[in-house]
Amino acid sequence: MSNILKSVKLDFSLVRPYVKTICFTMVLPAVFAAINRSLLTGISFAMCFIAMTSGYTFSITEKNDMERLYSILPVRKSELVVGRYAFSIIMGLLALIFSLITHPVILSSLGETVSTFDIACAAAVGIFLFALYTVFQLPGYYKFGSIKGRVFMYIPVAGFLATLFLITKIPADNSGWLITVLSSPVLVLLAAVLVVIMYVISILVSVKIVQGKEL
Amino acid sequence: MKLIISNISGIPIYEQIKQQVKSAIMSGELHADETLPSLRTLAKDLKISVLTVTRAYTELEEEGFVKNIQGRGCFVLSRGSELLKEQLVCKIENSLSEAINAARVAELSGEELHRLLDILMEEKTDE
Amino acid sequence: MNNYLEVKNLSKSFDNFRLHDISFTLPKGYIMGLIGPNGSGKTTTIKLILNMLKRTEGEVKILGLDNIADEQAAKKSLGVVFDSNYFSDDWKVSQVEKSVSVFYENWNTQRFSELLDKFHISPAKKVKELSKGMQMKLMIACAFSYDAKLLILDEPTSGLDPVSRDELLHILSEYIEDGEHSVLFSTHITGDLERAADYITYISYGELFFSGGKDEFVDSFRIVKGGREELSDDLGKKAFGIRDFATGFEALIKTEDIKLFAHLNVEPATIDDIVVFTSKRGEQYE
Repeated sequence: MSNILKSVKLDFSLVRPYVKTICFTMVLPAVFAAINRSLLTGISFAMCFIAMTSGYTFSITEKNDMERLYSILPVRKSELVVGRYAFSIIMGLLALIFSLITHPVILSSLGETVSTFDIACAAAVGIFLFALYTVFQLPGYYKFGSIKGRVFMYIPVAGFLATLFLITKIPADNSGWLITVLSSPVLVLLAAVLVVIMYVISILVSVKIVQGKEL
Repeated sequence: MKLIISNISGIPIYEQIKQQVKSAIMSGELHADETLPSLRTLAKDLKISVLTVTRAYTELEEEGFVKNIQGRGCFVLSRGSELLKEQLVCKIENSLSEAINAARVAELSGEELHRLLDILMEEKTDE
Repeated sequence: MNNYLEVKNLSKSFDNFRLHDISFTLPKGYIMGLIGPNGSGKTTTIKLILNMLKRTEGEVKILGLDNIADEQAAKKSLGVVFDSNYFSDDWKVSQVEKSVSVFYENWNTQRFSELLDKFHISPAKKVKELSKGMQMKLMIACAFSYDAKLLILDEPTSGLDPVSRDELLHILSEYIEDGEHSVLFSTHITGDLERAADYITYISYGELFFSGGKDEFVDSFRIVKGGREELSDDLGKKAFGIRDFATGFEALIKTEDIKLFAHLNVEPATIDDIVVFTSKRGEQYE
């Protein structure tokens, strides 16, 4: 097992006692989707919530002074950082998959029609939003810790409100712009490349922060 | 073999170990070719430093009571008890000469000196 | 390789504290006590060894490996116990094993459960439910389960009751019994070291005061006691700190100076005496 995978596993065991709470937070977006009768807002909300939980690993390690454990384990600091990003991405993807299954089911039961294309659109938007939130959050937590850096927890909230604002500002029949963006393979590809670049830069920044830290 | 370490005697721990090993050899409790307890186990059991036991054993070896064979342990040498006896006899001779000298200064006769010795020995046996 | 830990000319500057030119060597198979009053630089030294702090100068070798260039390899054989536990409070003891064991290829599950038995730690308990002494033993059990060759303990006995402290010393003497393991043990409770430590490294005000055999360290000092009228200028010059009071005085001197003060009451010094008197010295001249 590579050291990065081991680090991911360690992060999983950190949040294990909080799994129920995290699962519970995934129920609210489903309700929200049902009220709004919109898959897109439901998914945006879900990604906002799961991004808000990305600080859990940081607050648990801070509370228990676990930097000391990290500093005696036979792994590189960079491996621990990459592991934490991988863990956050896995959590994001799990939340996304869960929401992409439950929300359409709920919406269909309410009589809404949800097409595969709608789901694909929501998935792409979800991934993009989640990436956008976490690439700023994680370096923030690394730099300031989860207590001093708790303002970073609210990045997703701001992002969510902005998304909500954008969606409601554009009349439903006029939301064609999003469909245009999402049906263009070039633009989707561009967004994907952007996400990757953002993550790479974010990871590099975090590694730099962690390596410069003295305990 | 019994080894007891006192913290309040004021005698260094390595010295206490040496003395007790020597008296065990003298009393015949430790025979020739018998091994002393393993250095590290003894340190663990007595909760003392390995280096302290090492010093005691090394000095016992230097004084000719034991022989340390790498990897096999510390063996009691056959001439250990003789050596000790010689040393003790020598010590007695020295102390007695000192007593004789003091007796001369005090103008004590040989008889009186003998009587003194008898009294002291009697007192010791009473204890 | 005969030296499990080599520290050479280690220095670290902070805004308000400086650890300067610390060197010592811990051979395999022995226990070394790292002593000094609070704030003297013991924890800084340990953090530099663990590369938790970046050194300003110097060199550290753990089991012959550079502590920065070969950090990961060195840490595979290194166990560390801090004054408080570094696991998640909410983990059960069994989860501690699951979380930590993956990082060590030679983790021995059977050994871990034997150690839990021996230390009376229930695998079903949460870390936060364990006493401080139990938490310390849990850290030790982890280190022993991957057969750490060098165990570093930073103030492990502060806040422990006498029973747990005695247990710790017993665990450590057993650990080094085979001659293949070493211990570096920082403490300001020097009574813990009085008997069990083989070597002493004494850091005072960020500087190395002594590093070498414990017996040699303790033997090289004596306590002299006498009435106030016997407190001469000569003694004042030779003594490492003097405590004088209404009915007399006590002073720490080098054993080699003992001839000069043969008329006084001379006693062996304890590690505590040495630390207390030598630390007072600085205050005296302030």
